[in-house]
Amino acid sequence: MRRGRGITGTPENSLPDPTRFDALVLPHLDAGYNLARWLTRDTHDAEDVVQDACIRALKYIASLEGADARAWFLKIVRNAFYDWLARNRPAEIVNDENEAVDAAVDPAAIEPDQAMIRKTELRLLADAVAALPLQYREVLILREIEELSYKEIARVATIPVGTVMSRLARARGLLQRSPLLYAVNGPVTRNAR
Amino acid sequence: MNCNEAAPLIAAYVDGETGRLQSRSIKRHLAACANCTAQHDALVALRTRIRADVPRYTATPALRARVLATRDALDQLQPTRPRLIDRFRAAIGGSAPEARRNRGASSLADRVSWLAGGALAGCAATVLAWWIGTAVIDLRVNEDIAVEAVTSHVRATLGHQLIQVASSNQHTVKPWLSARLDYSPPVPDLSSDGVALVGGRIDYVDRHPVATLVYRIRDHNIDVFVRPESARAPPSALRTVRGFNVAHATGSGMDWLAVSDLSAGELTSLVQRLAREDSLPKR
Repeated sequence: MRRGRGITGTPENSLPDPTRFDALVLPHLDAGYNLARWLTRDTHDAEDVVQDACIRALKYIASLEGADARAWFLKIVRNAFYDWLARNRPAEIVNDENEAVDAAVDPAAIEPDQAMIRKTELRLLADAVAALPLQYREVLILREIEELSYKEIARVATIPVGTVMSRLARARGLLQRSPLLYAVNGPVTRNAR
Repeated sequence: MNCNEAAPLIAAYVDGETGRLQSRSIKRHLAACANCTAQHDALVALRTRIRADVPRYTATPALRARVLATRDALDQLQPTRPRLIDRFRAAIGGSAPEARRNRGASSLADRVSWLAGGALAGCAATVLAWWIGTAVIDLRVNEDIAVEAVTSHVRATLGHQLIQVASSNQHTVKPWLSARLDYSPPVPDLSSDGVALVGGRIDYVDRHPVATLVYRIRDHNIDVFVRPESARAPPSALRTVRGFNVAHATGSGMDWLAVSDLSAGELTSLVQRLAREDSLPKR
C-alpha cells in the first residue's frame, strides 16, 4: 500500500524505470551497502537503509544523468540513512560528536591486555574508524574505501569542497592519535619511515 | 615553495587532488624538507593500513534479491496510462489536424504549425507542472522544518538534554557552538530585557547540525535554532505545532526559528529582536 501511494505521488516524467535502474544503480549496490554499513554500524540496519534508498532511486531515476550514478546513489543512501537515524536513534544525532571524539582519544577506553595481542590489530583499526564521529566517518569512508574525489564527496554529503578537506584532515588526525592504534605499534606517524 | 605553502597541500597531494604544476613543486619541496616528508609518509602509511585492514562490506545475495524483488513490485504497480504531456498534446494539437485532414483541407504547413503549437503548449504545461510541483515541495519542506523544530525541542526537554553547554555568557556559548559547526552563529545577549541566556546545544534540523540557543523568560524555555540563511525560508512568521508556538525571522545573515510554549506575541517579538540584535553589536 505504501509503495502504491509513492508511485501515484511521483511526477509523471519520473516513473520507475527498471532498465535504467539495472544499468545505473545495481552496479553500485555494494558501494551503497558499504556506506550504509559504516554509517549504521549494523548489518540489518544497513540492509534496511539500502532497501529504502533503492525505492527512492527507482522513483527518481529519470532525473539521473548517467555519468555520476555512483555519487548520485550514494547521496540517496546517505539521505536515507539520516532519515533512518532520526526515526530510530535520535539521541545519537545529538550526542555523536562529543562522545565519539572522547572515546576515540581516551587512552582508558582500551584495556591493557588488548594492546598485547597483535592479531587483533585488524579489528582495532576498523574499530577506530567505526568510533569516528559520523561526519568524519562518512568522508573518510567515501575517500579511503570508496575512493571518491573531493568533488564527488562534496556532492554526496552536500558540503563545500573546503569542508570535505577539513573533515578529512580531522578524521585522519583522530585516527593517527587514536590510542587504539598507538597501543599496538606506536603512533602511525613514527611507523611511516 | 616553503613549508607554509606546502603543508596545507600535502593531504590533497596524497589524495591526487593537486594539479600537475602544483604536484611538481610539492615533490621538489618534499625532497628537501624532512618535516613535510614525515607528514606525507604518515598519511601514506595511514592509507596503506586502512586499505589493508578496514573492510569494504559487500551486499549479500539476500539483499540483492530483496532489492530486485522491490524493483519488480514497483514495476508492476507502474500505471500504463499515457503521460500527461502526451495526452495534453493529443487534446490540443492532435485532434485538430485530424479533423482538417478529414475535410481534405490539410497542408504540410498547417500540420507543422499545429505540431509546433502543440509542442509549445506541451512545454508550457511542463513548466507549469514543474512550478506547481516545486511550490508544493517547498511548502512541505518548510512545514516539516517547523514540525521538526518542535520535535527537537520536545525531545531535548523530555530527555533532559536541553543544554550541552550551560552558560549565561555569550562569549562562552558562541565559541562552543562555532567549534562544533561549519558556521559561527551570533549569540545575542538580551539580559537587559529580562531574557536570560541559559546555554546552548547542537541539534539537528533538516539533516544538518544546527546551533541551538536556549533562553528563558520567566519559567518558559525557548529553543532558538540558528542556521545560515537559505533561500527556503519558512513562509509563515508564526505557526502553532502541537501546542507549541514556532516563530521565524531572518537577520544578520541567519535564519532564526524559535520554539516555545511562550505566548505567540512575545515569542515573535523575541525572535525579531534576536535577529536584529547582532546587526547592531553592543560595544
